[in-house]
Amino acid sequence: MSSQSPPLGASKKGRDIFKLSHHRLSVEDVVAAVGSASCGAISLFIGTTREDQSESGKVIGLEYEAYEPMVQSELAELCRRLRARWPDLAHICVHHRLGWVRVGEASVVAAVSSPHRHDGQRALVCLLDGLKANVPVWKKEVYEDRKASWKENAECAWASCHGNHDAQTMIGQ
Amino acid sequence: FNTRVCVLYFAKSAELSGVREELLQVDTPINSQDLWTRLLGQHPRLLRVLQGHVVLAVRHQYVAIDDQEALTLRDGDEVAVVPPLSGG
Repeated sequence: MSSQSPPLGASKKGRDIFKLSHHRLSVEDVVAAVGSASCGAISLFIGTTREDQSESGKVIGLEYEAYEPMVQSELAELCRRLRARWPDLAHICVHHRLGWVRVGEASVVAAVSSPHRHDGQRALVCLLDGLKANVPVWKKEVYEDRKASWKENAECAWASCHGNHDAQTMIGQ
Repeated sequence: FNTRVCVLYFAKSAELSGVREELLQVDTPINSQDLWTRLLGQHPRLLRVLQGHVVLAVRHQYVAIDDQEALTLRDGDEVAVVPPLSGG
């Protein structure tokens, strides 16, 4: 059995860690996953579920589903692009919920570690933009009256609200 | 129809079609517009809501629905119906 050496140019220490979970996310776990003695900065994002209002009343929770093998491949490609743009990045970690998520809970936790903060902060913004545009995860809002609607990210090129940065629209009724 | 693919439905498309997964016999090569037309033939309700706001994913690569490019499909390939994304 032969061992492979890492490709030229790849950071031999840079880890990309992804997890889809049906359970409560742990911010501590994500932070620990990107920790590194050479890093002066950990840039962290937590996406939480808002208590939105609609004609159907309050949002009582969200249902997430995903095309799991393609989530992995899209996140891997996203991280490749981030590392090409910011070669000093150390580690990248994304944990995303699946299944039922109550209002107030975290739906996504993402962290990037870097020697200095600027690269990490910029890479984190790019990571989230890329996640919303390309990673096959879907979110359905469920309301007090048990009606539900699938949301769309404006970042997604085939969404009806594409290009409108502050909008999420509901498809179908 | 010389190739059998596995079609996966997600989110709104699963609700509209009533299925999560099905096998489909298709021609290969086939362009994505013709492939989409086949799926609409199986599940006309997909048209009502998704038309213009859906892409496919073939072997985990996004494919726009148009007549531009012929896809080469192999037995067992996964073809996913991908409504607008809302992760993150």
